[in-house]
Parts: sequence; structure tokens; C-alpha cells
Amino acid sequence: MVLIATIFVLVTGGVYLLLQRSMVRAVFGIGLLSHAANFVLLTSGVPGWRDEPLTNVSSTYTAADPLPQAFVLTAIVITLAATILMLAMSVIGHNDDMYRHPDTGESHEA
Amino acid sequence: MNPALLPLLVAIPLLLSAVSLLWRRAAFQRTVLFVSPALTVGAGVWLLVTHAGEPAIAHAVGSFLPGIAIVFVSDSLSALLLVVTAAITVVASAFLVATGEDRYRFVTPLVVMLGAGVNGILLTGDLFNLFVFVEVMLMPSYALIAVSGTWRRLGIGRMFIIVNLVASTILVTGVGLVYGATGTVNLAMLRGVGAENPQAALAIAVVLLALLVKGGAVPAHGWLVRGYPGTSAAIMGLFSALHTKMGLYALYRVYATVFDGAAPYDWVLLIVVLVTIVLGAVGTLGERRMRGALAFQMVTGVGQILIGLVVFTQFSIAAGLFYMVHHMLTMGGLILGAGALEETYGSGRFDRLSGLMKREAMLAVTMALGLLSLVGLPPTSGLWGKVMLLGSATVGPSWRVALLLTAVALASISSLLALQHFWREVFWGPPIREFLPDDPLTHRGRRARVTETTRVHRRLLVPPVVLIGASVAMFALVGAVWPLFQRAALALVTLDPYVEAVFGG
Repeated sequence: MVLIATIFVLVTGGVYLLLQRSMVRAVFGIGLLSHAANFVLLTSGVPGWRDEPLTNVSSTYTAADPLPQAFVLTAIVITLAATILMLAMSVIGHNDDMYRHPDTGESHEA
Repeated sequence: MNPALLPLLVAIPLLLSAVSLLWRRAAFQRTVLFVSPALTVGAGVWLLVTHAGEPAIAHAVGSFLPGIAIVFVSDSLSALLLVVTAAITVVASAFLVATGEDRYRFVTPLVVMLGAGVNGILLTGDLFNLFVFVEVMLMPSYALIAVSGTWRRLGIGRMFIIVNLVASTILVTGVGLVYGATGTVNLAMLRGVGAENPQAALAIAVVLLALLVKGGAVPAHGWLVRGYPGTSAAIMGLFSALHTKMGLYALYRVYATVFDGAAPYDWVLLIVVLVTIVLGAVGTLGERRMRGALAFQMVTGVGQILIGLVVFTQFSIAAGLFYMVHHMLTMGGLILGAGALEETYGSGRFDRLSGLMKREAMLAVTMALGLLSLVGLPPTSGLWGKVMLLGSATVGPSWRVALLLTAVALASISSLLALQHFWREVFWGPPIREFLPDDPLTHRGRRARVTETTRVHRRLLVPPVVLIGASVAMFALVGAVWPLFQRAALALVTLDPYVEAVFGG
């Protein structure tokens, strides 16, 4: 239940931030959304407290499912790379955190 | 072919990408750019030959127990698409070299890494690995879209990266839900699960939603039609053959395997397909740039390719795959052709181009054939694509037949109108007088008068001619290539060899 509430809050915040104009806020929004996705992955195992999934430490009955944890680890690494790339893009682009049309070289005349 | 070699199709391009990142000699970079996809073509042909006798081969990485191991599987469908995607990568790379874009920083490692991701998507037998390889494919493309570095491309890069990351987040959430509902993400073990277990079907629906966004289906097509025309023509040609089509391949693979023929709520897909077909074609009418119009044609193509899944017979799937390959070749040829004009005359806008038919006779013929192919007229592969798709769409409930045929007819008519407009603006009319030459320093040339020497260079001409030529060859040799598509479709309809290869191998 706590996990579900957390996912709910993260998705709400993530979507709100993603719809903002500034690239940096969108990056934070993506960060929250991917955290929510990671929690969804965790809930797909057994969400209760379990022992470490190591063969010589805990028995198979009490050990946690290692697969969702591996999923989350992979997803975190990928999100980290994408976040860095997006932060770089928000630095090298124009400052669009203001009430004017960003000067992207585009014009709206046909 | 020894199944243990399958992971090499991912490993070798990744390794070449890493080496070309470190060793930056121009000759070496150029070699790698062509050798890596050429190796994939070779391996794909070898696999196609293998699959004539053995329908599917699989390798469990690390030789873990079946069901736990991460598997690489190859069947006729993956082998066929390996050959086509890698061949188009070779041609698009030739265009990259012709425009000099391959000398921008890191272009070779990025393109080669993109190829590694594509090979991975085609060969993986595991949903989570599918997500990982989609990311391997997307990461380099985030950089490639902005690599030629105008402000406009940076802005588009931001939009592209955000849309694709959100879609990836949905994809990984869906994979998590599938694991929660079924306890596995191995595609062979998920066979038919969607038809029996409604919870799993819902989870798979989340995965399919993400793949539809990546494929560029309406209503999530905006990123495609605004993003792709903004990047350079060579990159757009590469993306059009690889990105959206990989989303469609994954849709075919996951949908066919998990539902094993009987999908609940398949009317949702039907509606998406109908709207995509019509909206993409009608949207073309409003475009005033060559590649903008082509991007909308890509959207309508996505819908038509997916007819194969909506009808879901062996014939319809073969027809859908045929249309997919036809579309990759035709679209690639047209985009590179438009790129050749843009590179030479400095603009892709209809109002700045006119009367190019006499000047660029060879390119005009190529583009004319390409446009005919898009609409579905002979002598091009488009004719057979449309004929087979419509032929396969005539089975099933009569209202569905009527809806599909009406949508395709409407789309064909508006595509015809829009592409006639394209042709009239660019190739007919008074001869072109002024153009924007490419300033080597600023890339923003002043207007200049067109002279006799202003012609599309032969190096730029070869790639589009090759691709459209392949489309024409598919028209003439349809009897020779059609069995390949039938075999690929059979691999999706009868899943026994696939499952046996995964569990027995």
C-alpha cells in the first residue's frame, strides 16, 4: 500500500514537471517518472521484506526474487545515462525558462 | 549456424563502436562504418539459409537453465529484417559519407552502436532485454539527431529524447507488470498467456502501448512528423528504416507470441490502425517541405503495416511484412533523394524549389518511381504491397473489411493528391533561378543564381537510386522474394519451432 501510494505521488509529480516549459524541470519530471517505474518493477516481485537472494545466506523460501532487483538496477543505469544526456542538452540549448518563444531558428511563416 | 554465434551480432558492433571511439583515424572510421552493417548483412543471409532447414535456433547466454537464461533467438523473420535493416544502413552510411556528415565527431561510433541495438531487438527472446536493446538503439540516436548542430536540431533533440524516454518508461513499467502477472518475461514462456490470463493481457497492453508510441501511430505521431524532418536527411533515412520499424517489428513479435492469434479487445488496435492510415495521408496535404510530407507518409505507412496484425492470418502477416520492407526501401530512397536536393539547392521547401525535372533527370525519375511506390502504383513494390494487404484484409467480419478497405482507399487518394502536389512544386513549374548555396563556414549561404554547374553530385545520387532500384526489383522479382515473407509469417503463426528452440537448445 505504501509502495502504491509512493508510485501515485511520483507519477503525479513527474507528469506535472514534464509538462513544464523548462528543460531542467522536464528532466526532473523524467527522473520522478522513472523512479515510479522502478517501484512498479519492485512490486512485481514480492513487495514484503525478504532476505537477500544469495544461495548460501538465506533459504529459497525466505529469499527475495532477484530478477526484479536486476531489472531495477538495469533501469537505473539507463535512466542515469539518459538524464546526463538531457542535462547536457538543457545546458547547450537556449534558455527557454521564460515567457518568450525560444529562438530556435524556426519561424512560423509558411 | 551454431546458435552460440548469435550474441556476436550484438557484441561485434558494440566492440567496433568502442574501438572506433578510441581510434579516430578517418580511414578506419569509414571502414568500420561500412564493415559493421556489411557483417550483419552476411550473417543475416547465412541465417536465412539456415532457416530454410531449421525454422528457429536459440542460444541461452551463459548456458543457464531454459526459462531462467536470457535467450537470443533467430527465426526467418529476424533473419529477413537483419538483412534489410543492415543493407539500408550501408546505403544511408554511403549518403552520410557523401554529405560529409560522417566526419562530424563520433558519428561512426554512434551509427554502429545504433546497429548493435537494432540487431539486439531483432534477436532477443526476452521482453526485458527488448527494453534494454531499445535503449541501446535510442541512446546513440539522441546524439545523432543533434550532431550536425543547428539550434533547430537541438530543440528537436530535446523533444525527441523526452518523448522516447517517456515511452521507454511506459515500456519498462509494462515489462514489470508482465513479470508481476506471469512470473516470467521470456517470450517463449509467455506464449498464449494473453489469451488465457486477463491480468497478463492488460500488462501486455501497456507494453504494446509503448511500442505503438515508438512506432509513431496516431495519436502519438506528433514527435515523428515534427522531429524527423528537422534532422539531416541521412539521419532521417537511417531512423525511418530502423527506429519506427523496430517498434513495429516488436509489436508483431510480442502481439503474435503473447496472444497466439486471439487477442481480446483487438478492436482497439483496429481503431488505432484506421485513424493512423487516414490521418497520416490527410496530414501530408498540409506540408510545405519535402521531408515533412514524407514524414506524414511514414505515419500512414505505419497504419498500413499494422493491418497485418489486425487481420492476423498467415497471408495478412506476410503481406504486412512485405509492406514493411517495401516501405523501408521506398521511404529511405525518397528521403535520401530529397536530402540530395536539399544538399545541392540549400532548401527542401516547396516554394524555393521548382522545375527540377529537366535539370535533375535521373533524380526526377527516381523520385517519381518512389512516389508511385508510396501510392501503390506499378512498376514498384508498392503495387504488390497494397494488392496483398487489401487481398488479405478481405477475410473476417464484413464491417471490418469495409472499414479497412475504405480507410486504405481514402488514404491512397489523399496521398495521391498530396504527392502530386509534391511533384508539381518540386519538379514541374518554371526553372529554378535562385538557390541557397552551402557556405562551408557558416552553413547559411546567401541567395545565389543557379548556374550550369549546380547539379546534384553523383555521390549523392547513388544511394537513392539504389534504394528505389531495390523497390523496382521487388516489383519484378516478387515471385522470388515472396516465399521469404511467407516463411517469416509462418514463424509468427506457428510458434512451436520457436518455443522448442528456446527450451530444447
